[in-house]
Amino acid sequence: MRSPFAYRPRSGPLQSASPAAAVAYLGSLATVGFLYSNPIVLAATGAALVLAGLLAGARDAVRAALWMGLTLALLIVAVNVLVVDRGATVLVRLGQLPLLSDVITAEALAAGAVIGLRAAVVLLAFAVYSACVDPDRVLRALRPLARRSALTATLVSRLVPVAAADAARLRDAARLRGPAAAPVGRAALARRLLAGSLDRAVDVAATLELRGYSLNPPRPTPVATLFPPYTSKKRCDRRGERPRARRSRYDRRFYVVGALVLIAGVAGKLLGADAFAEYPAVQLGVGPATLALATLLALSGLTPLSPRPRRTASTSLPAGWRS
Amino acid sequence: MIPRRGIAVAIALLVGALAAAGCGFGPGKDLGGVRLTVSRDYGHTSLLEREVGDVTESDTVMRVLERNAEITTRYGGGFVQSIDGLEAQERFGRSSDWFFYVDGVESPVGAADYSLRGGEWVWWDYRNWEGAMSVPAVVGSWPQPFAGSYGGHPHPVAVECLGGGAACATVRSKLRAVGVEAAAGSAADAIRVLVGPWQRVRDDPVAAQIESGPQRSGVFAEFGRARGGYAMRGLGEDGKAAAAFGPGAGLVAATRRGEAPPVWVVTGVGPRGVADAAALLDTAHLRDRYAVAVEDGREEALPLR
Repeated sequence: MRSPFAYRPRSGPLQSASPAAAVAYLGSLATVGFLYSNPIVLAATGAALVLAGLLAGARDAVRAALWMGLTLALLIVAVNVLVVDRGATVLVRLGQLPLLSDVITAEALAAGAVIGLRAAVVLLAFAVYSACVDPDRVLRALRPLARRSALTATLVSRLVPVAAADAARLRDAARLRGPAAAPVGRAALARRLLAGSLDRAVDVAATLELRGYSLNPPRPTPVATLFPPYTSKKRCDRRGERPRARRSRYDRRFYVVGALVLIAGVAGKLLGADAFAEYPAVQLGVGPATLALATLLALSGLTPLSPRPRRTASTSLPAGWRS
Repeated sequence: MIPRRGIAVAIALLVGALAAAGCGFGPGKDLGGVRLTVSRDYGHTSLLEREVGDVTESDTVMRVLERNAEITTRYGGGFVQSIDGLEAQERFGRSSDWFFYVDGVESPVGAADYSLRGGEWVWWDYRNWEGAMSVPAVVGSWPQPFAGSYGGHPHPVAVECLGGGAACATVRSKLRAVGVEAAAGSAADAIRVLVGPWQRVRDDPVAAQIESGPQRSGVFAEFGRARGGYAMRGLGEDGKAAAAFGPGAGLVAATRRGEAPPVWVVTGVGPRGVADAAALLDTAHLRDRYAVAVEDGREEALPLR
C-alpha cells in the first residue's frame, strides 16, 4: 500500500515548479508556524497549507496530516495539562502526585493546544511538501552542492520503500501459510528483512562501483586555455559549465508568495501581530496587524491554483461540432 | 487483548489514588487571607497594599498576584516580568527585577511554585540588584517571621543576649507585644534575634556575614575597626559606602545562611546604638524596609538613597 505522503507526479503548478521555488513557498509557511504563537496566525497558516495541499491534489496527504496532527495535538495537550502547574484558572486539583502537576489549569490547556496547533501546522507543511515535490528533483538540485550526501540520500530514499515492500511481502507470505501455521514473530521477520537488506546493499555497492561512482568527479576541461583564440562559446558551455536546471513558468509565483509571507511574518512580529500570552492568564491579541497577517497567510494558500485553460476562437469548436 | 476486568481494576485504582491525593474540581477550599505588598526601590515607594481575603488551597504567590495586579510573566509563566506595567529590565548599566518575600524571607522557589497556606505576608519589590543579587531576609514584614508560620510551620523564637543589657528586655517585650514569647535556649530550628554591640554579635557566624558585604549577607551596612572599637557605614544600592555613622549608631537587619531560619541582628557600635535599635522593633519603624540604621534617634532605611 502506498503511503499518503509519497510523491505522486501531477501536472499542477506546485508539482511543476522547481524544487527551490516549492521549498521557498512551503518553507516560508513552515517558518511562520515556528515563529508565531498566536493561534489566529497559526490557524491561518494551517488553513493556507490545507488549501495549498487540496489545490495541488494532495488530498490524501492533507487528510493524513490533519489526522496525525490532531492526534499529536491531543497528546501534547494531555501531557501539558498533567505536568504544567502554571496558570491562574484552576479547573481540577490533582493533589500531590509524583511527577505530575498538582492542578490542571485552563491556561496549561490553552498552552498545550497552541503547541499542538503549531506541531500540526508544521506537519501539514511537510506533508504537502512530501506529496507534491519530486524528491528526485530535490536531490538533483542538491547534487552540485553535496555530491556524496545527495547520493546517500538518493539510495536511502530508494531503499527504504523497497524494504517496506519486502516487509509487506514477507508478512503476506507468512499469512498465506494458512491458519494452522505457527505465527511468525516480529524478531524473525526483522531478521529476514535485515538479511535481505544486506544482500541488496552488496548488490547496490557493486553496481555503483561498476558505474564508476568510486572515482573522483570529472573536472571541467580548461578548453579556453588550451585553444584560446579558437574556442567557441558554444563548446565552452557544453564541456565546462554545469547543465542548467529546468525552470517552470510557475516558479516566479511561488518565489514571490514565499518572500511575501516571510516578509509579512517578520514585519508582523515587529508590529506585535504575535500578541499572545498563555500565563498567568490567557491573553489573545486580535489587533489589526494580527488580522491582516492572518488574512494574507490564508490567501497565500491559493498560490498553487491552476490557471483555467484559456479557450481561444481558433481552438473552440462550433456548437454543432461538439462530440 | 487486555481483559476488561484489568481495565476496570486499573481505573478504580487510579480514581482511588486521585481521591487519596486530595483531588477535586475548582480551586479548593478557602484558607483565609494573605497580606500583599508591592513596592519598588527597596520598599522606598509603595505601589500596592492589600489584604487579600480569598486565598484557596490551590493558590500560589503567582495566582494571588495575578488576581490583584496586571502582570506579565516569562520563562513559561514561572517568573514575573512586570507588575502594573513596571517591567524588569537590564539596560543603561542598571539591572532591575521583581523579587518577592514571604514573611520576610526570600523564597527559594519561583512564585508559581510557592503554595500559600493563608496568613502569610507576601511582599513584591522591584529593585536594582547590582549591589546584592540576593537579599535572603528583610525586616520590613514585622512581626513576621516571628508571629506567623514561616516555612509552613511555627518556629520557636530565641533572643540571644550578647551584651545587649536592657536592650534584650526591650526586644523581648516588643516580641511579646505581637504575641510572640521568646523560647528559653536556642533550638536548632529557632528564628534567632541577636542583641548586643557589634563587637560581640560578630562572633556569631551567621551575623558575621554582614562583614563580607551585601552580596553575601543582603545587609547594606558594614562595620570596620576604628580606635579600638567599630564604626558603622551605610551602603547605597550599588553596595558602595554612602554615609558614615557615629559612635551612637544602631542597626536592625536580618540575614540568613542557606536554608536555615533567618537571624535578626539588633546591634550597634555601642550600648546606645543597641538600645536605639531595639526601640525600632515595631511596624511603624520597620514596615517595607530591608534594614534600618539609627543614630541619635534619627532612622535611615537601608540601603541609603
